[in-house]
Amino acid sequence: MNSILLSAIWGIVMMFSGVFTQSKSAIRYTAILGLILLLLVTCMDLGGCRVDINVHKMLYFDTFGMLGNSIAFASTLIYVLLSGRDMEKVGHNLAEYFALVFFILCGLSIVTSFNTLLMLFLGIEIMSIPLYILTGSDKRNLKSNEASLKYFLMGSFSTGLMLLGIALLYGASSTGTFFIDDLWAGKTSSEPLFMAGILLMLVSMGFKVSAAPFHFWTPDAYDGAPTVFTSFMATVVKVSIFVGFVRLFDEGFGASKEKWQLFVALVTAATLFIGNITAVFQQSVKRMLAYSSIAQAGFMLLSLMALNQVSKEGILLYAGAYSLATIGIFAILIRMKDYTFEGFNGLAKQQPVLAATCTIFLLSLAGIPLTGGFFAKYYMLSSVVATGHYLWLVIFAVLCAAVSVYYYFRVIQAMYFKDGDGSTEEQPSAGFKGLLVFVAALILLLGIFPQTLLDLLSKIVYIY
Amino acid sequence: MGITQVLFWFLSILAILSAILVVVSKNPVHSVLWLIVVFVAISGHYILLDAQFLAIVNLIVYAGAIMVLFLFVFMLMNLNADTEPQKNRWLKIAGVVTGGALLLVLVAALKKADMKAQLAEMGHGNIGLIHNLGAVLFSDYVVPFELSSALFLSAMVGVVVIGKKD
Repeated sequence: MNSILLSAIWGIVMMFSGVFTQSKSAIRYTAILGLILLLLVTCMDLGGCRVDINVHKMLYFDTFGMLGNSIAFASTLIYVLLSGRDMEKVGHNLAEYFALVFFILCGLSIVTSFNTLLMLFLGIEIMSIPLYILTGSDKRNLKSNEASLKYFLMGSFSTGLMLLGIALLYGASSTGTFFIDDLWAGKTSSEPLFMAGILLMLVSMGFKVSAAPFHFWTPDAYDGAPTVFTSFMATVVKVSIFVGFVRLFDEGFGASKEKWQLFVALVTAATLFIGNITAVFQQSVKRMLAYSSIAQAGFMLLSLMALNQVSKEGILLYAGAYSLATIGIFAILIRMKDYTFEGFNGLAKQQPVLAATCTIFLLSLAGIPLTGGFFAKYYMLSSVVATGHYLWLVIFAVLCAAVSVYYYFRVIQAMYFKDGDGSTEEQPSAGFKGLLVFVAALILLLGIFPQTLLDLLSKIVYIY
Repeated sequence: MGITQVLFWFLSILAILSAILVVVSKNPVHSVLWLIVVFVAISGHYILLDAQFLAIVNLIVYAGAIMVLFLFVFMLMNLNADTEPQKNRWLKIAGVVTGGALLLVLVAALKKADMKAQLAEMGHGNIGLIHNLGAVLFSDYVVPFELSSALFLSAMVGVVVIGKKD
């Protein structure tokens, strides 16, 4: 509850900060202060110290959602520290952009702690509407306008499908309820009405996390949006919706798992296949990252297949590793002169620190051992193996991960083994480089001691 | 067949027929006018379900405000029957197949659905009156009600971001 309240309030604070000051760095520091406060109150929430409001059981705060929140807030903090300056270049409304970011954070705190379908819908909408606007915030750029309109139209359509699904689930529940743990109450076998509701929920949530075959908006929206906001959309927003996705299917539909699992398996396989294969053929690194985010969503969908303790820990680890690495790569990409693969040629000679950290991020996304991405993928796969079913999906996922190595290494190859004058637009500051090294160190730490970190987290939770 | 049932069938047929006409009309302005008929029919359904407040709000917001917006957009973009783009034949076939498949799923789902209890109140009860609605909204549903203000606020900020001259 703390984080929902504070992020909504801080959204308003950011709105007014634009009225009281013209200084861009003052606005940025206000946002950074807000994010630090958000992280603090989330930790307090984890410790059981929360604003006590009677929510009529509509929200339910558990450790899983809280940890998801803290990962999202920490990644947003790193994102603002790394790329906050680049937001100023998008347009003149810096304070409003930050206000929208905080409203998105409010929405994602609802999505990670909903207990009724009503709150899920509200949370998803609070996240989506600011995203449509951020996508189109580069008003002079036609591509940005097009991306925003496309995203808006398809997003509203998928919201409509979600509402239809919610209506069917409401009708199928024996008492007429929106509470996710009562949906299955009084049922012994799944009825067609209930299954149709699940199907529509899966389609609309799949759209929001860009799972194939509902991914068609992703490359255009990610490519057209200003790169700073693409970074935010592809990481923080996506992984938080996954936390809500897992929560919905675990608590709401967990009892009828056998019936819908095959469908989820097919969606997962399609997402992995389409994301990875299409990413191979891209010429622009930004578009490649858009497809890679689809492919990574395929891996995260594996946690939906398993729905056990390992998968819940795994999705959090995945959320952290994926967000950190992607935010890092985007922070470097924003500063490049040329977004194509050729633009990275010979970057290692010009900017050795940037090239080295970028390599670590790419290795993590590819899932190479000693990086956080490896253990994230390992947890996802082992959670499905633990259920004993759908081994073909695990093998398929491993094959797709092997394909992904190709396009991630293309960037590394361009940076180190090709001659060229790939360079950044301006000389990056020492602080920027230092922060990149810090993020890379975090990823390595996640890769070398994942168990220690997970134990530490569970201990913190346990002590409180 | 009582008056309620006669009204129900009349409104249902009216709603479905005009919804089909919304889709098949060549002229966008005609589509919008048929859409108003759909909203009026649905408002009638709300009244049958004793949701009087919802019926009035549906008329004011949808048949009123949103329709006016639609017509404004048509006027600004100068849309008429001639400007309708020619769609690819394969796209049409794909649309029919996917839409038909969804229809099949929904019909199959609804065919086997059974009435568990009388979920809707018809002909009696005052649950939809503004007094009761307000009482529920500010007791049981106060959290979503207050949180939806964040949604509207973000939409307003968005309007400023998109609409303000640089």
